[in-house]
Amino acid sequence: MNFVLPIFPEILLLALGVLILILDPFVKRDEARRPFLGWFTAAGLLVALTLSLLLARPAEPALVYGGMIRFDGLGFLFKMFFLFAAAVTALFFMDEEKLARRAEAYLLLVAATLGMSLMASAADLVMLYLSIETASIPLYVLAGFMKEDDKSIEAGFKYMLFGAMASAVLLYGFSLAYGFTGETGLYALALHFGDFNLLAAGVTFLVLAGLAFKVSAFPFHFWAPDVYQGAPTPVAGFLSTASKAAGFAVLMRLFTAVFPAVNADWSLILAILATLTMTVGNLIALAQKNVKRLLAYSSISHAGYALIGVVAFSQLGMTSVAFYLIAYVLTNLLAFGVVAIVGRVTGSDEFSAYNGLSRRNAPLALAMLVAFLSLAGMPPFVGFIAKFYVFLAAVNSNWVWLAFVGVLNSIVGLYYYLNVLKYVYLFRMEGEDEEKHPVPVSRPVAAAVVVLAVGILLLGTLFGPWFGFAEQAAATLF
Amino acid sequence: MDFTLLLFFLLAATAVATALGLLLSRNAVYAALFLVLNFATVAVFYLLLGAPFVAMTQVTVYAGAIMVLFLFVIMLLGAEKLPKGEALPWQRPLAIGAAVILFAEAVYLLVQRVRLTAALPDPGTWENSMESLRQMAGMLFTDYLLPFEVTSLLLLVAMIGAIVLTKGERAVRS
Amino acid sequence: MTLANVIEWLVKGLVWVLILLGGFAYLTYYERRALARIQVRVGPNRAGPWGLLQPIADAIKLIFKEEFMPARADKLLFTLAPIITLTPALVITAVVPFGPESASFQLFGRTITWYIADLNVGVLYIMSIASIAVYGIVLAGWSSNNKYATLGGLRSTAQMLSYELALGLSFIAVIVLANSTRLLDIVEAQKGMWFAVLQPVGFVIFLIATLAEVNRAPFDMPEAEQELAAGYHSEYGGMKFALLFMAEYDKMIAICTIAASLFLGGYREPWFLRDTVLGVDQTPWLGPLYVFIKVFILLFGMIWVRATWPRIRYDRLMAFGWKILLPLSLALVFLTSIGMLLAEQVNPLYQWGIPLASLAAGFIAILGMYQTLRRKEYARA
Repeated sequence: MNFVLPIFPEILLLALGVLILILDPFVKRDEARRPFLGWFTAAGLLVALTLSLLLARPAEPALVYGGMIRFDGLGFLFKMFFLFAAAVTALFFMDEEKLARRAEAYLLLVAATLGMSLMASAADLVMLYLSIETASIPLYVLAGFMKEDDKSIEAGFKYMLFGAMASAVLLYGFSLAYGFTGETGLYALALHFGDFNLLAAGVTFLVLAGLAFKVSAFPFHFWAPDVYQGAPTPVAGFLSTASKAAGFAVLMRLFTAVFPAVNADWSLILAILATLTMTVGNLIALAQKNVKRLLAYSSISHAGYALIGVVAFSQLGMTSVAFYLIAYVLTNLLAFGVVAIVGRVTGSDEFSAYNGLSRRNAPLALAMLVAFLSLAGMPPFVGFIAKFYVFLAAVNSNWVWLAFVGVLNSIVGLYYYLNVLKYVYLFRMEGEDEEKHPVPVSRPVAAAVVVLAVGILLLGTLFGPWFGFAEQAAATLF
Repeated sequence: MDFTLLLFFLLAATAVATALGLLLSRNAVYAALFLVLNFATVAVFYLLLGAPFVAMTQVTVYAGAIMVLFLFVIMLLGAEKLPKGEALPWQRPLAIGAAVILFAEAVYLLVQRVRLTAALPDPGTWENSMESLRQMAGMLFTDYLLPFEVTSLLLLVAMIGAIVLTKGERAVRS
Repeated sequence: MTLANVIEWLVKGLVWVLILLGGFAYLTYYERRALARIQVRVGPNRAGPWGLLQPIADAIKLIFKEEFMPARADKLLFTLAPIITLTPALVITAVVPFGPESASFQLFGRTITWYIADLNVGVLYIMSIASIAVYGIVLAGWSSNNKYATLGGLRSTAQMLSYELALGLSFIAVIVLANSTRLLDIVEAQKGMWFAVLQPVGFVIFLIATLAEVNRAPFDMPEAEQELAAGYHSEYGGMKFALLFMAEYDKMIAICTIAASLFLGGYREPWFLRDTVLGVDQTPWLGPLYVFIKVFILLFGMIWVRATWPRIRYDRLMAFGWKILLPLSLALVFLTSIGMLLAEQVNPLYQWGIPLASLAAGFIAILGMYQTLRRKEYARA
């Protein structure tokens, strides 16, 4: 097999990061040439995406690089979506003044993407841990990037402390696994786990705790609202989508590869976790008055929905998780993008800042409608299809009560999503002079918003081929 | 009794004692020094296991660089005295509970260890340690090439991140 | 491991420690005399013939001085710090060979070699001991509960961390040249040519970095009298001070011994005397003598530097360490590796590309330094 292909996207990302670093001094002097970096990053990411799609598609799943990487469809699918999410986020960065002027922001974004790509295909504990750190450390910095803003510093600091703690717990799990089997390869570990129930339970517990932080699942979700609220909005968007998806990619691979033998034991725990994650996220979201915090809690509950698919533990289940994450990445990126625009213009993320948005900028309000309805899981948007398949997978695997909890939760979710839209469409600004307060949208952000909205509609209606991709990808796990 | 075994128990006791000292001392400088001792003890463990390269690296990197930096920061900030009392009093019983569970599991697994069939590599001896160094270098640049390179990237990114966060932004010349 | 083995180590170690202690005493004498000559003075010449008993007089004076302890010092660490400072200086040379295997002699039926320990990772051992040598100084400074002392300790920490990187990289150049981390191999690999000739810039970096590591002029910021009232040891007196003092001079001896082994052929004769009667292959007992001569000359170099160079400003010291030495030594490792690869794979003559390339790199570094300094001057004017 070709030596380069399995990490082709990563190599391109590395090259892009180095180019950004090299270009930085040339752009630094000239304020007018600043936007160039954003366009350059986004274009570079899209080029990497296209080239990888054309040249580096995996054939048969195979362990490469001494077993460090599994070159398979699932990893590839996730990589492509990370690249896409990063490109969109780079466009959103251009609107955020503090981020746009620093080449380091783009570099960190690219580095985090690289780490996530490796996470999605890592097949060895060493590689896995390193890639998780590579994805996390740039994100810590990005969350705390606005040094003048106390909230941003708080976000960065909190994220780092929680993240370091979670990494430590994860590492304990890994070291237990290695210490008692003498293996670090995920697929080699699996052979030893069957007859070691208590070991498996201990390792599962620790690893689950570490990953639960990454995907902000129930007992480890506390960081999410504070971090999302304080971090620059595009960064929060990236955190809540790509980073979470990367966590799920690891979760799926780990549980299908290493723990199938102890499946029954952890499925119930995971089901309870999913229930609590959904419920807690949704119930607290009801009480929010700040859109970013609302989206944070909603993103917690979405982690719960996606976990349902993992619990189902069937090929359909994994497919549904992959598809759910695709849908979620598109939708939440759009939601955070709109919040970023409104936040920049009004200087606030409270619900009241959204009064009369439909009159101030109708297309933007429409984009927000699309995003929120898709989050709520309404047809014809992609969120509906995604939820449908997740619940279907649960029912097929005899987790009927779990699907039922999920449906109930969706109804709760619908309430608070519509509540925000009420501000957008029904309420008026004070003085009712919306025409005098337009919400301008810059070109790069407009491009990103359009792409995302169209994507949500497209995947929601013509979902067949996309679901097919997810199916093919998930099949490579088993 | 075997000399190596005796040494092992002595070291193990030291390692545990220094770790406890790190946790219990109320003076940050002493805590840091206990950690240095702990690292040194672990380094001797590596020596006993026939991995002198790892042992030396452990001392150089952890005791010699990282902990020196820790001490530097502690002394520079004058943060030696740790506050008395707990900020979150309910944490302690919880932590003790978790520690007991983990310890119990470790003991159980130790007892069950005999059942394991996984053949661990035979620890080398002093005589072939140069050989082991070569082997390690070989491993590092074949099987572990990718993690090795990713580590370098990780360090670069962490460095850039630290600079971004700590260095003041220069006023842009107009 | 037998009892005889342990006894052999103990005896050898004891002998070497005694040599170091005596060496320390006479190094102070050597330094004072040499400094005096450079400054056109006479130096100590009253105690004994040519002042040779001066160190002994000093030692007696220090032993009988009153020990005192600052009132609010951290008593435990204040007492431990001099010991922690001295120990690395004494043990670091344990892996250095002082004579070839052929110079080993028989004693009580055992073959006694000219080294204390033959460690396969000898260079790494030196590196790790050097890296923990800072603890004594920083603890001495901190435990004195004196701000000048603490500042001296802190300066020493930052300085050692910064120069350790360059030092480690110059070690790597040697390892690459010798293709081993064992000191005996490294010395034997210099049979044909000293590494100081093959990697001249690496040698210079090693000397500069070690000067900084042992806090010698012009890098003696941690104990700058004018700024810090003698820095980390300002609260020390009597034997404790003597230990700190001893540590500094023993470190000098130690690094000169190491420098001699890594770059100047250790116990080997100069390469041009290889097949003559002066070579250690023919007269093995010359080995220790060669080491002594090399160390003696290197020590003079350090004293010379102290006598003639002003102290470097602290920010310049940091900038020099991080912005000049570190990149330069990285480049040297790269160049050395390429040179060795070419010499092995293509033609042994390529090994002479290493000194040329490294000299070029050193020249570029000096040029860069000069440019920066000149720009600063313009900026000031």
